[in-house]
Amino acid sequence: MSNTDQATLAASQSERPPFYRDATIVKWLAQVAALALVVFGLVFFTTQALDNLDRQGIEIRYDFLSIGLGSDLREGIDTDPDTAGRALWVGAVNTIRIAVGGIVAATILGVLVGVGRLSSNWIVSRMCSVYIETLRNIPLLVQIIFIWALVATLPNVELDQGPINGLLHLSSKGVSVPRLHIDDGFYQWLIFLLAGWLAGSYVKRRRERLHDATGRDTYPVLSFLAVLAVFGAVGWVAHPIFGWVGAIFDFIGDGFSSLTPIIVQVVLSLAALAAAAWWIRRFLARLRTPAGLMKLTDDDKFRIIFAGVGALAVIAFVLVGWPGLSSWIINSGTDLLGVIADKFGDGRTGRPIDVKAPDVVQVGNFPNPGPAGLNLTQGGTAVFFGVVLYTASFIAEIVRGGILAVPKGQTEAAQAVGLRRVTMLRRVILPQAFRVILPPLGNQYLNLTKNTSLAIAVGYSDFVQVGQIVYNQTGKSLEVISLWMLFYLACSLTISVIVNFFNVRMRIVER
Amino acid sequence: MSVSDATTALTEELAARDDMIVCEGVNKWFGDFQALDGIAAVIKEREVVVVLGPSGSGKSTWIRCINRLEAHQEGRIVVDGVELTNDLRNIEKIRSEVGMVFQQFNLFPHLTVLDNIMLAPIWVRKKPKDEAEELARSLLERVGIPEQAEKYPGQLSGGQQQRVAIARALAMEPRIMLFDEPTSALDPEMIKEVLDVMKELALSGMTMMVVTHEMGFAREVADRVIFMEDGQIVETGTPEHFFTNPQEERTKLFLSQIL
Amino acid sequence: MTSTMGDPAATPAATADLWAQEREPAQKPEEPSLSAGEWLGRNLFSSPVNSLLTVVFTLLVLLAGRGLLNFTFSEERVWRAVKTNMRFLFTHAYPQEQYARVWFCVGAVAVLSGLSIGLLAKTGRGISMKKLSMNLMAAGGAIAVGILLREPSATVDSEGLVVHREPGTALDDSFAGWIDANSLALLGLLLAANVALAVWFRYQGVYLRGGPEPRTAHGVLVLASAAVLIVQQYGEGEIVRESFGSAMADRAWWWLAAALLGAAGGALWFGLGDARRRNTFVPAMYVFFGAGALMVLSAWVYPWGHYAFLEGEFISEPGSTVAMTTKLPWTVMLVLLVASFEAGRALRATPAGRRLRVPLNLLWVLAPFVLYWAVLRDPDLDWDHVLSTDIPMALFFAAFGGLAVWFLAHPRIGEVGRVIAVALVGVAVLNWVAAFFGWYPMLQKARISFLLLAVVALLAHNFAGDRTHRMRLVVAWVAIMAVFHWLVTLVNSPSTVDTPTDALFGGFATTLTVATFTLLLAFPMGVLLALARTSKLPIFRVLATAYIEVFRGVPLITLLFFFVLIFNLFLPGGMSLTDIAGATIGFALFSAAYLAENIRGGLQAVRRGQYEASDAVGFSTVQRTLFIVLPQALRVSIPPLVGQVIATFKETSLLAVAGMFDFLRIADKVISAQSEFLGVKREGLLFVSFIYWIFAYNMSKHSQRIEKRLGVGER
Repeated sequence: MSNTDQATLAASQSERPPFYRDATIVKWLAQVAALALVVFGLVFFTTQALDNLDRQGIEIRYDFLSIGLGSDLREGIDTDPDTAGRALWVGAVNTIRIAVGGIVAATILGVLVGVGRLSSNWIVSRMCSVYIETLRNIPLLVQIIFIWALVATLPNVELDQGPINGLLHLSSKGVSVPRLHIDDGFYQWLIFLLAGWLAGSYVKRRRERLHDATGRDTYPVLSFLAVLAVFGAVGWVAHPIFGWVGAIFDFIGDGFSSLTPIIVQVVLSLAALAAAAWWIRRFLARLRTPAGLMKLTDDDKFRIIFAGVGALAVIAFVLVGWPGLSSWIINSGTDLLGVIADKFGDGRTGRPIDVKAPDVVQVGNFPNPGPAGLNLTQGGTAVFFGVVLYTASFIAEIVRGGILAVPKGQTEAAQAVGLRRVTMLRRVILPQAFRVILPPLGNQYLNLTKNTSLAIAVGYSDFVQVGQIVYNQTGKSLEVISLWMLFYLACSLTISVIVNFFNVRMRIVER
Repeated sequence: MSVSDATTALTEELAARDDMIVCEGVNKWFGDFQALDGIAAVIKEREVVVVLGPSGSGKSTWIRCINRLEAHQEGRIVVDGVELTNDLRNIEKIRSEVGMVFQQFNLFPHLTVLDNIMLAPIWVRKKPKDEAEELARSLLERVGIPEQAEKYPGQLSGGQQQRVAIARALAMEPRIMLFDEPTSALDPEMIKEVLDVMKELALSGMTMMVVTHEMGFAREVADRVIFMEDGQIVETGTPEHFFTNPQEERTKLFLSQIL
Repeated sequence: MTSTMGDPAATPAATADLWAQEREPAQKPEEPSLSAGEWLGRNLFSSPVNSLLTVVFTLLVLLAGRGLLNFTFSEERVWRAVKTNMRFLFTHAYPQEQYARVWFCVGAVAVLSGLSIGLLAKTGRGISMKKLSMNLMAAGGAIAVGILLREPSATVDSEGLVVHREPGTALDDSFAGWIDANSLALLGLLLAANVALAVWFRYQGVYLRGGPEPRTAHGVLVLASAAVLIVQQYGEGEIVRESFGSAMADRAWWWLAAALLGAAGGALWFGLGDARRRNTFVPAMYVFFGAGALMVLSAWVYPWGHYAFLEGEFISEPGSTVAMTTKLPWTVMLVLLVASFEAGRALRATPAGRRLRVPLNLLWVLAPFVLYWAVLRDPDLDWDHVLSTDIPMALFFAAFGGLAVWFLAHPRIGEVGRVIAVALVGVAVLNWVAAFFGWYPMLQKARISFLLLAVVALLAHNFAGDRTHRMRLVVAWVAIMAVFHWLVTLVNSPSTVDTPTDALFGGFATTLTVATFTLLLAFPMGVLLALARTSKLPIFRVLATAYIEVFRGVPLITLLFFFVLIFNLFLPGGMSLTDIAGATIGFALFSAAYLAENIRGGLQAVRRGQYEASDAVGFSTVQRTLFIVLPQALRVSIPPLVGQVIATFKETSLLAVAGMFDFLRIADKVISAQSEFLGVKREGLLFVSFIYWIFAYNMSKHSQRIEKRLGVGER
C-alpha cells in the first residue's frame, strides 16, 4: 500500500462540515426542535389555562380532598365518607374490586368459550362463535346499560331470603352473594401465611431436587400446598402471638415523621444524580472495548448531555418547582405507616376471616340488602357482567388464536414420544400457547380495567363516578381529571408489570 | 512487501489509474467485538477486487462501510475523492455513485420490476419518467430479462431477482459496484446466470468490489484478491498468485478447507 | 407476522407473494357431501361426552332462543317506541324540510361505494349455490322452530293491557298444566335418560362402530325435551293465553315465510345436481343486492306503517297518509348503488378505470368534509368577506406557495433550498409565537397556511424533478390551498339549516360522523407517532412512547370529559370548541395512540434489507419512508387497523355519557322520557345494539377476509 496517492488523499481531507450538513448535528437539532415544540405547546396551553382560571378566580389546589362531601355513595367500603379524599379512595377500591373480580371471571369464561370454539362438537363450537361474534361487535356501553335495564325488571327485594336458600339474592337492587369478612387478627395471620409460603417454597424445591435425583413422584406442588395449609391452620389460632408487629411500624412511622423536608429533597436530588450517573456509566461501559474506550461520537456526547440535563431538571423540580412535594411525601408516608401499624395492632384474638350469607334489612320504608353479604348494586351488577361478558369474547379469540398457533408438528411429536394426552397438553401445548396468549391477554386486562370507568353511565360508585360527584360539588374539574389520569396510569403500570413478570418467566421456560 | 513479479507489474500498471476507494486505518467495533482492525487498501479505477475470508471475518462489514450502511469509527474512507464523514452532502454523493447488490436481493416487493428499477433514477437522479423507463428497459435487456418488466419480484426466481437487483443498482449509473455475497442465497442452477451478468459488467470496465465464495469467479475475473480474517487484511495479490502460491499460513489453511 | 420475521432466508418468496396482484384466497379442497345422518353422527354424536354436550347445548340453545323470542314478541314490548322514533334515532332533530340533503349524502356515499367496490374490490368466486340453498333452508327451518318455540300470545283487553287470570280461579286440570307444573322434573328425567343412554352405548361399543343408534335415541330425547319446553308455555297460569291452534293460526304469515324460504332453498338444492350445486357461484354483491331489493319491495307492498313527528309531538300514524315515507328514497339509493357498481365493474378492465382509482380514493377523503360542511350545513356565505378577504388570501397563498414549491423542487437546488425551507419554517413558527404573545393580528387560517407552506417547502427537495413533475407539485399545492381555504370559509359561515342542539344532528348520523372525522384526524397522527416510536432518534422515540403509553393507559371517558368539559380553558381567550368538536379531538387523540401501535407492528414487519436497499440507491429518509417503508407496513397492518376502526365506531357510544345526543343516548334517555313511552328502554337498546352489530360485524368479517388474503397470521 506504499504507493497510495497521497495527493488525492490530502485533497479530500476536509475539516468538519458546516453544521447544517453534519448528520449528527442535523439529527439532534431536529430532535431538540421537536422537543422545544412540544414543550412550547405544553407551556402555551398551561399558561392559557392558568390565565383563564385566574380570570375566573380559581386556583389549582388539592385541598378540596380534605373537605366534606355532601352526598352518600351507593356502595363501597364506606358509603358515607367524611371527606372528598376518602370518597375517592372508596371509589378507587370499588374500581379495583370490580377490575380484579372481572379479570378473574372474564379469564375463566373466555378460556372456556375459546376452547369451546375449537370443540369438535358442532353445536358447542357454533354457540361459542355466536357468543363471540355477538358480544364483541356491540359497544360495551350499550351492553352495560342493557343489563342495567334488565336488572331493573327483576323482582324487588323482599324480607324473606332470595331464591337459592339465601345464598344468592337476585333483585332489582342487584346481586348479593356470601362474603368473606376480614376480621380480627387477619394481618397477623397473613404473617403466618407468608412464613408458610417461604417454608413451602423451600420444601417444594427440595422435593423437586429429589424428583430430579431419583425420578420418583415427589408431588412438589402438593407438598407446597400442604405446608401452606399447616401454617395457615396453626396461624388461625396462634396469630395473637404476632401482636407486637404493630409496634415496629409505629416506631418506623415515628422515625419517618421526624424527617425534615430538606433531607427528603436532598435524598431525591441525590437519587436523580445517581440515576443519571448510573446510566452514563452503563452507557460508557457499553462503548468500552478491550482496546480502551472508543472515541465518543457527537451522538454519544449528546446522549450523555441529555442524561445530565434530565437529572438537573428533576433536581430543579424537587427543589424549586414543587417544594411542597417533600413534606407531602413525609406526611403521607407517616399516615401510611400509621394505618399499617393500626392493622397490626395488639390485642386481636378473634377469627381472622369470617363468612356470612347475605341478609336483608329494613331501615326505612323499603327492605335493602344488608351489610353481611357481598352486595353489588344494580349499577355494579351491570358493570361487572358487562365487562366480564364483553372482555371474555375478546379473551376467547386470543385463547383460540394461541392454541391454533402451536404448530401441528408439536402435537405429533408429543404423541410420537408417547406422552399421555394430559401430559401433552400440560407440558407441550399449553406452555407454547400461553406464550402467544400472554401479551394480548395483558392488553385485555388493561382494557377491562379501563372499561370499568363506564360505571359512570349506570351510577356505580367507581373512581370516575365519585370523581364526577366531587367536581360537581367542588368545581375542581382539572384536579379531579389529573387524579383520574394518575390513578389509571398507576393501574396500567401495575398490570403491565405483572404481565411482564410472567412474560419473562415464560421466556426462561423457553430456554 | 514481498510480492511476486506479476503483482509488481500489476501494481505499477494500476498506479497509473485514479484511486476509486482508499481506506486507511479503518477500525470498527460492535460493542467490544472489533469487526474491522486497521483496514488499509486502495482500489483503482476499473479494477475488479474479490474479497475472500471465512464467515465473521469482517468482509461484509467492510463493504457496507464503503457506502455507509455502517459507519466506521476510526480511520478514513475516501471514495472517488470524497471522504465519508458525517457530512450529509458527501453521504448523498457517495450513495449515488456506489451501487450495491445484496445477498438477499432486497427488491421492493410492493413494486413491479420496472418500478423497482425506475424509482431511484426518478426521485434521486431527478430523471424524467420516460427517460428513466427507457433506461430501465435497456438495463433489463442487458441483464437478460426484458420480458419480466411488469411482474412483481415475488413472481420471479431467485436468479432473476438478483439480476433485477443488479439492474436496479446500475440504473443509478454508479462508478463503483459493491457485491455482498450476491450468489449465496441462490440455488446452484441459478448462480451461473448471475455470475454471467457480473462478468459482463466487469468486462465493460466497471470498478467492482465483490465479497463472494465463488472461487471460479475470483480466478477468472478478479484483478486482485484480498483475503481477510478477524477484521484484518491478511494477504493481497493477483488470483494466480493467491491460489497457487499463498504466502501466509492462515491463507493456506483457508484455501485447504475451501478447495 | 412476527413469526415470519425470524427466518429471513425463508421469507422473501412468501412475503413477496403478498404483492402479486390478483391473489385468490386459498380454497380448501371440498370434502365429499355427507348424508344428514353421517353428518350428525360425525359432528354431534361421535362419543359419549360429545353426545351429552350436544344434548345440553341444544337445550341451552332452545331455552335462549325461547327467551329471546318471548322477550321480542311479548305483548309488553312497545316496539312502537322504536318505530315512531326511527327518524329521531338516526338523525335526531335534523329539520324535516331539509331532509333531501340527508338523502343526497346517502346517495353520494352509495355511488362512491358502488364505484369503489365495482372498481377495486377483489370479489373472489362468490357464494356457491350449495351454500346459498343451505342457508335458505336453514333460515326457513329456524323460523319454523321459532314459531313453535314462542309462547302463545296473551289476551289483550280493549286498552291494550294484558289480561291476568283472576287470583281465585283454579287452573284447568289440563295436560299442558300438568307439564308446566312438572317441567323441571321432566327435563331432569330426560337428561338422566340421555346420560344413561350414552353410558350404555359406550359399553356396547356403538360409538366405535359409528352406528346410527346414538343419534336416533338422543335425537328423540332432545325432541321430547323441546316438546316439554313448548307445551309448558300453554299451561302457565298467571296470564290468559290463547290456545295452540289459534297461536299457530295467528302466525300464518310466519309459516308462509318459512315455507317460502324452505321451498326456495329446496328448489335450488334439488333442482341442481351435486356438481352443479357446488360449481355454480353467485357474486356476493348480487346476493346483497337481491336482499336489498326484497326489503325495498316489501316497503312498497306491505303496509309497515308510516311514522312521523308532528308539531313537536311524536305521533305514530299507521296507514299511508303521511308524506314522510322513505320507500321512494330507499329505492333510489338501491338503484344508485347497483348502477354505480355495474359502472365500476364495466370500467374495471379499461385504462380509464385504472386512472380513476386515485381520484376515487381522494374523493373518499374529501367526501366527509364536503358532505358535512357544504351539503348538510348549507353555509350562508358572507359574500363581501369572501370577495374582499377569503378569495384574495387563497389566491395569494396559492401563488406565493406555488412559486416557492416550483423553485424549491428544482433538481439542483441543493443546500440553498434547505436553508430557504428552514427559514420559512422559522417564519411560520415565529408567526405562531406572535399569535401567542399577540404581537400583530393575522387570520388564523393565514398562519395555518403559512405553516403548511413551510412543511411543504421542507419536504419539497425530496420530490424534485423535471418541469412536468414540478408543475404537478405546484398544481397539487394550489389544489390543497383551494380546498383548505374553501373548507375554512365554510366552517366559519353560519348554517342555514337550523338545529336545536349544538350539533348538526344526533343519533346514528352523529355516531357515523364522529367516527369518520376521528379516523381522518387520528390516522395521520398514528402514522407519525408510529414512525417516531420506531425511530432511531431517542428524543422522538421517548416523546412518542410517552404519548402512546399515557393515552393508552387512561380510560377514554376521562379524556372525553377533559375535552368536552374543560378543554376550552386551555384555549386562548375567545376561542371555544363545541362539545362535538371537543369530543372528536378526544377520540382522535385516543385512537391515534392505538393506531400507532398497530402501525408499529406493520413497521416492524418491514425487513431490514428494505431499509438498506433504499439507502444504497440513495433515497432520503423521507423518500424511503414514503415510497418503500410505509406502503409495505400499512398493507401488513390492515387487519388490526380495521379492528381499530371497529373499536372507534363502538367507542363513539361514549358520547352519550358525555351528554351528547348520539345513537345510544336517544335510545337510552330520550325515548324513555317521551310521555307516550315513559320508561321504555329495552326495545330501543336492543334496536341500537342490532344496528351497531350489523356494522361492526360486517367490518370484522371483511377484515378477516383481507387477513386471509394477505396470509397474515398464517404459519
